[in-house]
Amino acid sequence: MTSSRVPRRVPVARRNLLAEKMRLLMSVGGVAFAVLLILLVASLYRGWSAAGGLFEELPGDIWLAQEGTSDPLRTSSFLPSDALAAVAAVPGVRAVVPVYARRVALEPGNAELNVYFLSLAVPPTVGLPADQQRFLPTRGSIVVDAALADEAGLEVGDTLDVLGRPLVVARIEEGGNPLFSIAFMNAADARELLALPGHVSFFLVTTTPGADRDEIARVAATAVPGSEAHTAADFANATRDLVNQGFLPVVGALVGIGFAIGGAVIALTIYTATIEKARDFGVLKAIGADDRFVYRIVVQQSLGVGAAGALLGIVASSLVATLIRREVPEFVTDLRLLDVILVFAVAVLVSAVAALVPVRRISRIDPAMVFRA
Amino acid sequence: MSGDRPLLDASGLVKVFGSGRTAVRAVDGVDLATDAGEIALVMGPSGSGKTTLLTMIGGLLHPTEGRIEVDGIELTGLGRRDLARFRRETVGFVFQTFNLLETLTARENVEIALNVAGVMGAAAHERSTELLVAAGLEERLEFRTRDLSGGEKQRVSIARALANRPRLLLADEPTANLDSRNGREVMDLLRRLAKEEGCGVVAVSHDARLEDVADRVLWLEDGRIRTHELH
Repeated sequence: MTSSRVPRRVPVARRNLLAEKMRLLMSVGGVAFAVLLILLVASLYRGWSAAGGLFEELPGDIWLAQEGTSDPLRTSSFLPSDALAAVAAVPGVRAVVPVYARRVALEPGNAELNVYFLSLAVPPTVGLPADQQRFLPTRGSIVVDAALADEAGLEVGDTLDVLGRPLVVARIEEGGNPLFSIAFMNAADARELLALPGHVSFFLVTTTPGADRDEIARVAATAVPGSEAHTAADFANATRDLVNQGFLPVVGALVGIGFAIGGAVIALTIYTATIEKARDFGVLKAIGADDRFVYRIVVQQSLGVGAAGALLGIVASSLVATLIRREVPEFVTDLRLLDVILVFAVAVLVSAVAALVPVRRISRIDPAMVFRA
Repeated sequence: MSGDRPLLDASGLVKVFGSGRTAVRAVDGVDLATDAGEIALVMGPSGSGKTTLLTMIGGLLHPTEGRIEVDGIELTGLGRRDLARFRRETVGFVFQTFNLLETLTARENVEIALNVAGVMGAAAHERSTELLVAAGLEERLEFRTRDLSGGEKQRVSIARALANRPRLLLADEPTANLDSRNGREVMDLLRRLAKEEGCGVVAVSHDARLEDVADRVLWLEDGRIRTHELH
């Protein structure tokens, strides 16, 4: 006997779903579309949030800023440039990089942009690894991100007027963020265009390996009156908070709408299928099935639609995210496995909840109906 | 149960639908007893209360008055859950319109009845095959039921009814949708399998040809038994 290939139960749910292929296709497609919407929004949100990671990529562990500068993008910071020596003298400090930063309003073409310019005045004694050289454009040039380049219509070699000085776009970095564009400028240009005389915006401090960073931060802040120390992670998180404030409500609403659409599609499909199969369920009850037996079939149908739709949506999201990265580079997408697992789990949960819709209908099916022709 | 008690013992059965001036006494004081291995045929014109009587015996409808005992189980006091258990363990149904699940194959239609009773996997597969082969459907096991003829559908229905080795088989107009040859074959099959499985049968019909296979024939009219003859 072929007992190993015999299913434990007759797959009524699968048979019912496959019997109406067009409806199955439409309901699975509806769920897949909802999951696609959710995952794309989530991946865009993740991509934009990652912009804050720039502060963790820059060469330093501690940012010394003017007191009250918790958010580098929205508050200005000025520190006396002659405080450099005092910071460098703090035990455990390996290198100090003066940083110039300022938000500048630009009007390239017909666009109106607020660009956050950053400039690292890296001393010749501090060697930077190759991947960080991209933060150091040569004099007269700038490095912009893809979002800014797209909004301003810039390409490598184009000239951008910054505070009356034409600067050439030397490089376009991937990514960016519609909320805040970041560009890098040469330190000599920054001193002339961005800085107050005798001041820098920040000191970016690199500590020696194994040093107590908290202690160094405390001592450095004491060494420069009117300053406070932040870790690179603090600034990165402040930037992420900026994204969160702007986008989380939108992301939340879209994700909610996505799940509502998915749930409604499944609920409608399952309710319709239940009504349509009411006589079959009546037959099952007549031959002795209890409500739980019938309800299991309905739940399996619902979970089948939800899981198939979620899987299709995940595959579609992956393809679309890849396409977006290739065709629209300023839309940074970051499709994370954890998000995918979470969305799949919630989609399955919503499917199970949607299966509750026809519960009353099932319990009201009178098995005696099977005797009516 | 004790050896001298009938398999089915229904007495004083009354079923009233509606109330007041619109009340209808569909079944009006019916007494009916059937032994194991016996085929009782309840005949009568349309609207005589045959199906209502069968529905009550099958635990699908509560009688307004009277009592029903099947294989020692008193039905009138049972709740919803116990009635469902009674239907899956003690009785089997054969319907006029077959009531097969069209999305399933012939074998799966029998297997699902076994699944309902908790028989799963290979055991259900083997039992359903055995019954369908006995019903002459060995070539139709994996056919969708919509692709079967009326006679074949009714054979599947009989196999399903017998799947859980019921003590009592209840057949509602089992030949009504079949031509005379198929009707005869189906009743012969019903009789043969019921004897083999050792269960009693109560069939309701207005098809006089079925009298030949019945051990006992009752005539129901206006909800009352008018005549009662043994064959």
